[in-house]
Amino acid sequence: MTNEAQAAPREYRWRMPANWWTRNRHYFLYVVREFTVVPIALWLLWLLVEIKRAGDGPARYSPHGSAAFVVFSVITLVFALYHSYTFLSLAGVIIHFKVLDRPLPSRLIVLAQFALWAVASVVVGFVLIWFAR
Amino acid sequence: MADKRITIQATRYDPDKDERPRLQSYEIPFSDDSMVVLDALNYIKSEVDGSLSYRWSCRMGICGSCGMMVNGTPKLTCNAFLRDYWPRPVVVEPLNNFPVIRDLVIDMDDFMHKLKAIKPWIIRRQEIPLGAGEHRQTNEQIDDFRQFSQCINCMLCYAACPVYGLNNEFLGPAAIALARRYNLDSRDQGLKQRLPVIADNEGVWECSFVGECSVVCPKGVDPAKAIQQTKLETTMRFVLPYGNRD
Ligand code: SF4
Ligand code: FES
Repeated sequence: MTNEAQAAPREYRWRMPANWWTRNRHYFLYVVREFTVVPIALWLLWLLVEIKRAGDGPARYSPHGSAAFVVFSVITLVFALYHSYTFLSLAGVIIHFKVLDRPLPSRLIVLAQFALWAVASVVVGFVLIWFAR
Repeated sequence: MADKRITIQATRYDPDKDERPRLQSYEIPFSDDSMVVLDALNYIKSEVDGSLSYRWSCRMGICGSCGMMVNGTPKLTCNAFLRDYWPRPVVVEPLNNFPVIRDLVIDMDDFMHKLKAIKPWIIRRQEIPLGAGEHRQTNEQIDDFRQFSQCINCMLCYAACPVYGLNNEFLGPAAIALARRYNLDSRDQGLKQRLPVIADNEGVWECSFVGECSVVCPKGVDPAKAIQQTKLETTMRFVLPYGNRD
C-alpha cells in the first residue's frame, strides 16, 4: 500500500439492507417468482419417489392421491405454468434469429415457442393416456 | 404561483466527521415547472450551502454523471422533474450499491475496472493498415448492436441491481451490455478474448434476471436482454459441435 492509499479518505461502505426485497414492487415479485420454484421442486422429488415405487412392481405401488396432495399438485401446476409462460415470452426477446439477413420478429418466435409447447403437451398427454389404458 | 416551494432532503456525509450519511432538509423555491432535481441541487449549492457535493456535467442526459437515488429510484437528476414529486418532499441520495465518498458522490472505481475488463473497443486478429481504408458496415449490421451502444455509463443499472448489491464481484449490467455491443459488431473479432470474463460465474451466470436494470436505464439499452442473450450464446457455443467458432 502506498502512502497515498493510506491517506485516502474514509468511504462509507454500502450494505444491502435485509429488507431490500420489500422496497420495490419488482424486487418483491422477483422474490415471489424465485420462491415458487420450491413447491415445484418438492413435487418433482415426490414424483421420483412414485417412479421408484412403480418400478418396484404393481404390488408395492400405491400412488399418493389424498385431497391435500391434489390441491398441492394444482397449485404447483399453476406455478409451473407461470414459469413456462415467463420463460417462453422471454425467449422471444433473447433469441436472435435471422432469415435471409433479416431479424425474425420476436412475436413470431414467441408464437412458435407457444405452438411447440402446445404440441409437446398434447404428445406427452397422449402417450401417458395411451400407455395407462 | 411565484412562492411555490419544495423540500429537498439530500444526503450529507463528511468522511472526516460523520460516522454514517444523514439526510438534510432544504426548502427551496420551486419557481419554474421545468425545474429538475439537478436544478434544485444547484440552487442549494449556490444559494444555501456551497459545501454540498455531487457530480454533474452536461445537464441534458448525455454525460451520465448525475445519477442519484431520487425517492429510492436510480435516476439521472437532470432528467427527473420536480413537478413529478411536488408537493411531496424529494429525497436525493447517492446511488445504491456503491461506496460513498462524500455527500452524493460515489466511488465508481469498481465500475471502471469492470468496463475495462470487457475490452470495450474493436479487437482485430490482425490490424489492417490505415491505408487499406475503413471497415465498411451496412445499416443492418449496425442495427444488430445499435441499442447496446447507447449506454452513457451512468451506473443507474448497477444501483438498481440487487445481485450487484449483494455481491459486487458480479460484472454487472452495463459492462455485459457493452461487451455484447462489441461482440455483435461485424468489425470486431474479440469475442474469444472477452469470453473468460463474460462467461464466468461472476459474469452472466451471476444474473438471476431481476430485470430492474432495464427498467431504470434512461437510454433504453436493455442490459437484461444483453445478459440473457449472452447466456444463450455462450451455452450454444458450449453445446453445439460448430459452436466454438470465432
Ligand atoms: S446500461 Fe443504461 S442504466 Fe446502465 S450504465 Fe448504460 S445507460 Fe446507464
Ligand atoms: S448531467 Fe449529464 S446526464 Fe445528467
